[in-house]
Amino acid sequence: MAKHSFSLSPLSSFILPRGDTLFYLIALFSILSLLIHHLSPVSAESRHFEGFDADEIDDFGDSDEPISAAKHIPPPPPTTTLSVSDPIESHHGPPPPSADPTSQVTSQPSDPKPASTSFEVWDEDEFEGIPQSPPSDSPLITESDTAASAESDPSLKLEPESEPESPKSISSYTVEIVCVSFLIMFVINYFTGKKENEKLALAWASKFATKDSIFDKNFSLLGVGETDDSPLLLKEGQNVFKFYASGRRFCQGLLATMELKSRHDLISRLYNMVVPCKDEITFEVYMNDDAMDHVVVAVAKKKLAKTMQKETTDLQRFASLVSPPSGKKWIAEELAVVAESKEVAGDMLNETVLDQVFGDKAYEKFGKGFISMHFSDQHLGSHKKMLVFKFALPDAKNMADMTRLVALVPYYIDLIGRYKLSSHARTKTDGARMKVAQEIYKELQNARQEALQRKKAEQRKKGEEAEAKLSAEALRKKEAKERARQMKKAMPKMKMTRTG
Amino acid sequence: MSSPANDPRQPSTAKPYKPSPVAPQDLPIDYSGFIAVICGVFGAMFRYKICSWLAIIFSAQSLANMRNMENDLKQISMAMMFGIMGLMTNYLGVGPRGSKKT
Repeated sequence: MAKHSFSLSPLSSFILPRGDTLFYLIALFSILSLLIHHLSPVSAESRHFEGFDADEIDDFGDSDEPISAAKHIPPPPPTTTLSVSDPIESHHGPPPPSADPTSQVTSQPSDPKPASTSFEVWDEDEFEGIPQSPPSDSPLITESDTAASAESDPSLKLEPESEPESPKSISSYTVEIVCVSFLIMFVINYFTGKKENEKLALAWASKFATKDSIFDKNFSLLGVGETDDSPLLLKEGQNVFKFYASGRRFCQGLLATMELKSRHDLISRLYNMVVPCKDEITFEVYMNDDAMDHVVVAVAKKKLAKTMQKETTDLQRFASLVSPPSGKKWIAEELAVVAESKEVAGDMLNETVLDQVFGDKAYEKFGKGFISMHFSDQHLGSHKKMLVFKFALPDAKNMADMTRLVALVPYYIDLIGRYKLSSHARTKTDGARMKVAQEIYKELQNARQEALQRKKAEQRKKGEEAEAKLSAEALRKKEAKERARQMKKAMPKMKMTRTG
Repeated sequence: MSSPANDPRQPSTAKPYKPSPVAPQDLPIDYSGFIAVICGVFGAMFRYKICSWLAIIFSAQSLANMRNMENDLKQISMAMMFGIMGLMTNYLGVGPRGSKKT
């Protein structure tokens, strides 16, 4: 029943790129090239360690303890001896020779080749001319005070054994596990939520838009197509469904828009748990121009009525809150009326409507789903004369609960189609409309004048810029021409007369 | 409240449904798509894994809520690309290997 409309134009725009699509493709290729460039060191890394054993590389690079800088320092010439000077130095002569033999620092001669334990595969040509560090773990330069302490305290050893890296535990993949599981849940929820929304929309359609239902009895054309077998509902989004009906007196057509909860979207679903919202249906009735008199009325819950009066243009211009009349049956306390006049409000909320929906007792039973209704002949948009009804949708099982609310739609189409204002009310509404029309006209004129002034200012600026650009000679010529013109004007006019 | 005895239907006045064209600027702002692009850029540039994952999640949300294929597809695909690129650079790319110090 739900109709999906898919467009193939994006596909064709990818095959034959032009305009912004071309830029988009360029961006795509640049990102891909950037990615390839970024990932290229992975393949290059293996070339740097040619001739090394894989296990050795891991031990070398991933050791837990810091590697001593001494290990990488090329050894000094074998004959060099260094002596550590006394802390207190004399400037008068050479320092006395140290008696302690351990204070002598000698560099050990390095092996011409590393031990077989260090690297299994050793290519002579690969490392030609590179000084080879000894395989021994002892530091190259030892001082007397550190040598003794290093033996006694194992924690002060400069070269502890490197341990192989242990496999990562599950806790180190927390982010990945959470995100992947959320995505899986999102996908599952997408399909279940989509089904729920479709089920609800179809439940409404089967109750109110099928054969012998309220809309079938009131409209000759139902559904979004032109033929009888066309789908009843148009699926605009995963949570937006539209129903169209036409072919009725007093109106051009009716468009019902179901805006359901975003059940298909897990993030929205979680948000709606904190901030609850309802499934809504909005009926827009496009009235014929000759079928609607000057009527501006809105009925809603008190809080919403106030916001509507402030924000909706036509209510702001023409209507005000109507106080309940004394000694007359009126709407439920929770509701408020915003209307152009008390007369219109009274005529629209007649006894029939009060008994059926808006009266105190009826509202408790049948008015649960009522949100608002707004009738106006001064709507902004393509259709000026419109009736707008907004109701909350019940569950798929309890769809019959909103039967009376839906029945308001054809009732008000007929009521407003036949309604005529009294002469007194008519003069008032005409005056108000004239006033508004004049205000709009003034605003338009002001806007036009501002636009003209802007244009003139721009032209003046352009002229000044052009003059500034002109060279000095051109200016001189211009001045000379002006002078000549002035002289011509100043010269006395002579008449040529022929004597004969 | 039922309609009068005479039939209110008028087949001669029936007009088929024509969807009103919606200008791209009148469409509601796709916040999730925008957040996805921002997170994707951050994830790819600064190598934040969480940002790349968020980009993927928000672009999935944007894709789920897509109404107008023509206008939304480009932003969503850009967000997806940035997200995937961020994940690839984070997991497959070569980064500085941090050594543990005791």
